[in-house]
Amino acid sequence: MTFREKTHWVALVVMIAAFGWYFFRLHTALPHGPGNIAASGSLLTVVTIGIIVAMSIIIGVIAARSPSEAHAAADERERAIHWRGTHYAYYPIVLGVWLCIWMIFAGYSMPTLLNTLLAVVVSAELVRIGAQLYLYRRDG
Amino acid sequence: MALPFTNDIRTLRFLAGEMTQGDLGERVGVTRQTIAAIEQGKYSPSLEVAFRIAHVFGKPLEAVFQWDDGTD
Repeated sequence: MTFREKTHWVALVVMIAAFGWYFFRLHTALPHGPGNIAASGSLLTVVTIGIIVAMSIIIGVIAARSPSEAHAAADERERAIHWRGTHYAYYPIVLGVWLCIWMIFAGYSMPTLLNTLLAVVVSAELVRIGAQLYLYRRDG
Repeated sequence: MALPFTNDIRTLRFLAGEMTQGDLGERVGVTRQTIAAIEQGKYSPSLEVAFRIAHVFGKPLEAVFQWDDGTD
């Protein structure tokens, strides 16, 4: 498995764990209502810092074990995989934006809108990483 | 989907003293995995990389890649 493929697996696992925990906590432990937006913000800050720290440590360890691969620039196949993965992630973004527009007119609360937007971004990231991993496996 | 052309990279590597995919990739400027994908017909290289591969073996492009869409 290449360095880039490993980093994608790390990103996928960390994203699922971090945002899985975030959304679980959101529905089980946080207070609902207007105060929820501040609580969501605090939780989101913790999750974001957690993701940055976990990714930095794990990818740092992987890079230290294969420094030449880690420092090599992406070649044309890897760039093509990156572009295609990003292209697939465009669709959940568009669907999510339309959903949020509808939610604004339907009168949903700000905390709900905030977490829907977050879910859209997370979904798009999971689609991007998942598609790129699939393409690495299929074309590898 | 199968690509409409084949290649003789495996044979040419063998004739070049069992050159490894990694060695070829290094000389061409791509990863070993990309050479493996090209060799297996899973990835269609750019014209630049195709020419670079042919140049490494000292062959014309058509000696490395052959069009084969089943209509000939």
